[in-house]
Amino acid sequence: MAKLELHNISKIYNQNNGAVKAITDVNLNINEGEFVCFVGPSGCGKTTLLNIIAGLEKPDSGEVILDGRVVSDTGPDRTMVFQEGALFPWLKVVENVEFGLKVAGVQKEKRRERAMHYLDMMQLTKFADSYTYQLSTGMKQRVAIARSLVMDPEVLLMDEPFAALDAQTRDLLLVELQLIWQRTRKTIIFVTHNISESVCLGDRVVVFTHRPARVKSEFKIDYRRPRLIEDTSLNIYARSILEELKGEVVAAIKEEYKEPDGKRDEQVLRDEN
Amino acid sequence: MNKTSSIIKRVVFYATIVGVWQAIYMAAVLPEMLLPSPLQVMETLISSAATGELPFSVGTSLLRLFVGFIISIAIGVAMGLYMAKHKTVYETLGSLVLGLQSIPSIAWVPIGLIWFGLNDAGVIFVVVTGSTFSMAMSTYSAIRNIPPIYLRAARNMGAKGISLLTSVVFPAALPYLVAGMRHTWSFAWRALMNAEMLFKFLGLGFMLIAAREINSMAHVIAVMIVIMAIGLVIDLLIFSKIERTVESRWGLR
Repeated sequence: MAKLELHNISKIYNQNNGAVKAITDVNLNINEGEFVCFVGPSGCGKTTLLNIIAGLEKPDSGEVILDGRVVSDTGPDRTMVFQEGALFPWLKVVENVEFGLKVAGVQKEKRRERAMHYLDMMQLTKFADSYTYQLSTGMKQRVAIARSLVMDPEVLLMDEPFAALDAQTRDLLLVELQLIWQRTRKTIIFVTHNISESVCLGDRVVVFTHRPARVKSEFKIDYRRPRLIEDTSLNIYARSILEELKGEVVAAIKEEYKEPDGKRDEQVLRDEN
Repeated sequence: MNKTSSIIKRVVFYATIVGVWQAIYMAAVLPEMLLPSPLQVMETLISSAATGELPFSVGTSLLRLFVGFIISIAIGVAMGLYMAKHKTVYETLGSLVLGLQSIPSIAWVPIGLIWFGLNDAGVIFVVVTGSTFSMAMSTYSAIRNIPPIYLRAARNMGAKGISLLTSVVFPAALPYLVAGMRHTWSFAWRALMNAEMLFKFLGLGFMLIAAREINSMAHVIAVMIVIMAIGLVIDLLIFSKIERTVESRWGLR
């Protein structure tokens, strides 16, 4: 039995100009301890899918099954690291990490102990009593990861967590994340639009189509760890995924440039291509 | 260095104003009934303080303000929270609150007098009606303006219902709530002065009216200076400070 199963997930949004299908018939199995990356063109719906797995949004059809039972509400068994950290500025760093534990009713000493354990893992021990405004973006994301890990989730969800970081911090965190994953053996779903990131991190990369999102193809990445983003051997994988993705990105752009009456702006498309 | 030079600038500025005032008085451009000298105003202040009249009035006014303000905050925040939570409530009650907020506090005096009579309760009633609705709307805005990502993160960590409210909604809204409280306090102060002037039952507002009735411009100016001073002190020493602390901790500064 897979750790996480997605059965026939679909999601429709009702907007002013009609219903928009965000996700359609997504079927996927994620195994325990696997590091899976979701890639797809921007706006294709992969974040929506992640939200559905987390329980922040409800699917219009289909189910999310975790360890054999259906899950539909939010919970600390599927914690998420957001793109912009979403740390609470009124709490100290260590209090931020403790937040979920406090909600769950864990005792003060135990909370502190567990929070410090993960802060140590993220090399942020010295900053435990700082406030978030005193941290750099990279450090904030580390705290966000610690906060999610301290809950000992069944699945760790990550929504483009390194998208807002500068390249150097991101490269460092890519290695750190792999080391943490090897240490904790968590099941991780990592959403990104950056292909190099995805092949660097993932055991498997799932490519989604443009909206409405569907699983287009999957790539197994069989390469030693920890991987560095500049490893040239990863380029082969990256190129294949890029080919898959290119068609989807063009299709997404065509969708955006479509005239209201269905005609397409041919000149623009020719320039794009 | 910067702070001292700023204080010196202000001292010089006010000293100049007093100097000009004294000069105008000595030039006898206006009759003494219209414009007393700074010295006369000073003497009035001192004698009023010595007899205990001034401290008593200040104490009465501040006590009424405090009580009214606390009640306004309590009711206002509760209303604002309720409106923020349920759209229907905002559409219905909210429209009423908006309307009531636009009524100048002085218009509540007749109801205050009739319902409560000529006493502290009546004055406090006017203070409350003059400021509660502003607090309600501020609270509503504060909660609606919470970055949604905080709520998503909190729900993701397992927070629900009441725990969501206390652990995230209130802390996240606090900077805006504090700004709202500052606003509300200024409404409350104005409402208080209005009420005291019309109720004519003790307090600084009453002193102001009484001063007019004995035709003492010196008293009038003296009381107005006290009113202004209290307003400044509370605003600068209390609210400004709180606002700054909260904003810097929340990273908004």
